[in-house]
Amino acid sequence: MFRMKLYWTFTKKAFLRSAVYRFDVLSRMGSNLIFLLMWGSIWTALYAGKESADGVTFQAMLTYIVVSQFLSGINGAGTPLWDMQEKVRTGDIALELMRPFDVPLRYLFADFGSVAFYFMFALLPVYILVFLFIDLTLPMSWETWVLFLITAFIGFLIRYCIEMSFSFLSFFLVETGGIVDIFYFAMSLLSGSVIPLWFFPDWLEKLAIYMPFQGIYYIPTSIFIGKITGVEIAFSIATQIFWLLVCYGILRFVWHKASQKVVVQGG
Amino acid sequence: MPIIEVNNINKDFMVAKRETGFLGSVRSLFKREFIKKEAVKDISFSIEKGEMVGYIGPNGAGKSTTIKMLTGILVPSSGTIKVNGIVPYEQRQKNASNIGVVFGQRTQLWWDLPTIESFELLKEIYQVSDARYKQNMEIYQEILGLDEFLNTPVRQLSLGQRMRADIAASLLHDPPILFLDEPTIGLDVVAKEKMRTFIQEINRERKVTVILTTHDMEDIEKLCNRMVLIDHGQKVYDGDISAVKERFGKIRTLVVDVENGEATFDIVGAEVVKREANRVWLQFNRDEISASELIGRITQTHSIKDLTVEEPAIESIISRIYQEGFEEKLVSV
Ligand SMILES: Nc1ncnc2c1ncn2[C@@H]1O[C@H](COP(=O)(O)OP(=O)(O)OP(=O)(O)O)[C@@H](O)[C@H]1O
Ligand SMILES: [Mg+2]
Repeated sequence: MFRMKLYWTFTKKAFLRSAVYRFDVLSRMGSNLIFLLMWGSIWTALYAGKESADGVTFQAMLTYIVVSQFLSGINGAGTPLWDMQEKVRTGDIALELMRPFDVPLRYLFADFGSVAFYFMFALLPVYILVFLFIDLTLPMSWETWVLFLITAFIGFLIRYCIEMSFSFLSFFLVETGGIVDIFYFAMSLLSGSVIPLWFFPDWLEKLAIYMPFQGIYYIPTSIFIGKITGVEIAFSIATQIFWLLVCYGILRFVWHKASQKVVVQGG
Repeated sequence: MPIIEVNNINKDFMVAKRETGFLGSVRSLFKREFIKKEAVKDISFSIEKGEMVGYIGPNGAGKSTTIKMLTGILVPSSGTIKVNGIVPYEQRQKNASNIGVVFGQRTQLWWDLPTIESFELLKEIYQVSDARYKQNMEIYQEILGLDEFLNTPVRQLSLGQRMRADIAASLLHDPPILFLDEPTIGLDVVAKEKMRTFIQEINRERKVTVILTTHDMEDIEKLCNRMVLIDHGQKVYDGDISAVKERFGKIRTLVVDVENGEATFDIVGAEVVKREANRVWLQFNRDEISASELIGRITQTHSIKDLTVEEPAIESIISRIYQEGFEEKLVSV
């Protein structure tokens, strides 16, 4: 039986918790803006006054960066990888096995709370200003907005499953530095968060297209700027759902193995 | 019917063997050798509803490991466990609603939430009704004095406050069984006393069955009638505390202040166990020599300025058992 009220309580408490760590929220917002500024400048330099490249206008490209940076704010507002690994290391997670709730779900709902707080009090106001003061493209139709929201949400879930799976891997490894590097590499490059996939060399684009990471930033952002349209959207969403199911399966598998290890080997 | 039944449980941990030297560490990259560590060996006991049992033993004896098996977060390597009719590790979540657990070494509250928020979360997790929650909170606030820190984040609580919050949290859902793994560790005398009073009250008023591990024998003496003593993973004693006292209580200590602290005593049935300035501790067996007899013998050769006879504290009995083993003592006393 799914106890919505219980998981919703985690959402509420995480929301409150974020309110306690206001400085954290501020500094995260600060670094998010710095990255936005950095990548915005890089792309401005790369376009070097050209109207468009690969059929994408400069304005659309700038919008791409702004939107993906916004999404990266959303995706970074939950329990970070290192924090989860710390919980694994100290045995906090093992103790949660004793509670009548599902651990991966409990953290997902808590993340909803932290994200909601960060979204309402930092991201949204700041990005409204960004859109007001910089000349960017907004989707014309409401359908595009809805599709953007849906794909962004699926992307969030994909990222959550992948990040959690990586966290739980630390149950099995003594050293986790390498794992963390792989995760962040895939997260920043293969997801298309700072360089859209169409600018990748062919082989890398092919590789990225067949990976789950593009579903996190590339798909929703490209829909937002109108780079992915029509039937392609349906195909993209199907790809996302496919990867969500796969990543969810992996998360379940890793979690099952991890909790098995805890109860047999004591963590 | 016993509320907790443990039959012949074992718990082995596989510990990776550490290779030394460069070659060793390279080798261990490819092939790891494991050593079997037997943390719990063939332990059985059963506990009736409402009992308060002290589960004691020296460091590394296997106490926490046993508690973890009872809570379901560890699976025994063999043997069977039933807690309130449930096999803990098979129905971990169902078991969770029957038990309250406190691990004194670590908190189970949410580190960065104000204490009250943790309680509210637990209320939701264990589906405690509003009325019940209110009633319990009132009682716990009164006995444990939670008011003063309810709005403080858990990470800012002092150890004593945290422990009080933890035990209140473990009892919010009125579990019939309470596992306390070192609930008084690191507490000052007053806080310990408060904690004991609370545990006693819970046990008496609500018939909560309690298993308690501790290194403070005063906890045991004040709270438990029964103790299970384990050492190196094995049970060495299970029974009345008074019986242990009775068994080992024949050993008494006579403390005398004499003129010369170096004085020798050559008395059958008594031996000097400690000296400090002019004070001498003489241990004697009541069956072999009575206190008055012993005093009489001493006054023949020494002049006594002051004396006391010490009853054996459970603490010293236990420490003797730890050091010398239980069986030996049975034979030699
Ligand atoms: N996860 C684990 N992996 C390997 N060995 C373990 C593990 N947990 C416990 N042990 C070993 O099992 C033995 C029993 O440990 P346990 O924690 O149950 O002792 P304890 O009686 O609680 O001791 P203490 O009084 O110090 O708390 C110890 O030798 C310990 O090193
Ligand atoms: Mg212990």
